[in-house]
Amino acid sequence: MIIIPARNEGAAIAQVIAEARRHFTTPVVVIDDASEDDTLVQAVRAGATVLRLPLHLGAWGAMQTGMRYAYRQGWELVVTLDADGQHDPADIAPLIAPLREGAADVVIGACPLRVSKARRLAWHYFRTLSGIALEDLTSGFRAYNRQAMERLICPDATLLDYQDVGVLLILRRQGLRVLEIPVTMRDRYDGKSRIFNSWWTVGHYMLKTSMLCLAGIGGQRGRACSDQD
Amino acid sequence: MTYHLTSLFIGLVMAGSILWLLRRAHLHGAHALWWITLAIAIILLGSWPRLTDLVARYLGVSYPPIIAVLIAFALVLVKMLTMDLERSRLEQRLRRLAQRLALLEARLDALTPAAYSSLDHPQANILTEPPRDGLLSSRDPSRGERPA
Repeated sequence: MIIIPARNEGAAIAQVIAEARRHFTTPVVVIDDASEDDTLVQAVRAGATVLRLPLHLGAWGAMQTGMRYAYRQGWELVVTLDADGQHDPADIAPLIAPLREGAADVVIGACPLRVSKARRLAWHYFRTLSGIALEDLTSGFRAYNRQAMERLICPDATLLDYQDVGVLLILRRQGLRVLEIPVTMRDRYDGKSRIFNSWWTVGHYMLKTSMLCLAGIGGQRGRACSDQD
Repeated sequence: MTYHLTSLFIGLVMAGSILWLLRRAHLHGAHALWWITLAIAIILLGSWPRLTDLVARYLGVSYPPIIAVLIAFALVLVKMLTMDLERSRLEQRLRRLAQRLALLEARLDALTPAAYSSLDHPQANILTEPPRDGLLSSRDPSRGERPA
């Protein structure tokens, strides 16, 4: 199943869905993160199933909703795409190959060269702080198997705000195998990064994520959780 | 007016407002218990301000008034900490609830013959029209400038 979290992406979402559907026959699920534009209408017309969040939960909250949906429907694999057209659905096949072979639990489509020097410095800082040895920390182009989904839909992961360091920390502490494969990323159809667009949000993001590294999130390996609440 | 009357007045007003809020059921459960304890403490201290002197002498504090300030400050900090813990817990539950609502609505949509009929959205009527040709070519210049 392909899941696409979207907030105010009415301009790009239809094309992203159409492209994904051209490559795959699996359902495309868009999680409408309380958009204020016509994202919902565009997504429904383009043939996606739409989950409508009544509150703005952020990219990770939307992704988790999609994962809970996929998990409940019994899917073995889930692929997440950004709604702004950065990711090429043609890369999904190489992305899920390691999951099919059982070589990894999560595969990240990485393109570390796409970002600015300042952002690479920030990533370097987080790599040092968290001890995560991955190139691309923030990529939203990922594939998860059922085991990874099972852990990431737990309530303790619900308080995360972004899909990057916090999620990677949970995966590592749970002993799940994360693999990176290089992909190319295109320019966004419109708009720019939601996080790296003002000094205030950057500072907020850096502090929040630093706190995550300190918090013992994702501990208690193997502890089961209930998806029912 | 003596300091005794002043402290009694302040104590009674504060405890009175707390008890009034309690009676009006604006505070519930554990919060009510915390505030009723505080109201009793305020009445005690207000009607008997020399209590701090006794406690201070017992604890070996040479400047008695500071003991009341110190304890009050510590209690405020504890209260704020528990409030933030509670807020985090509520935030988590709120997010789970929002997710669950989205999941349940999707299930409802799948069950209803006219999908998305439950759509509570001003543009919902558009969905009943058949999609027109060319709708998917989103490289339409009129919408290309949309701010992110």
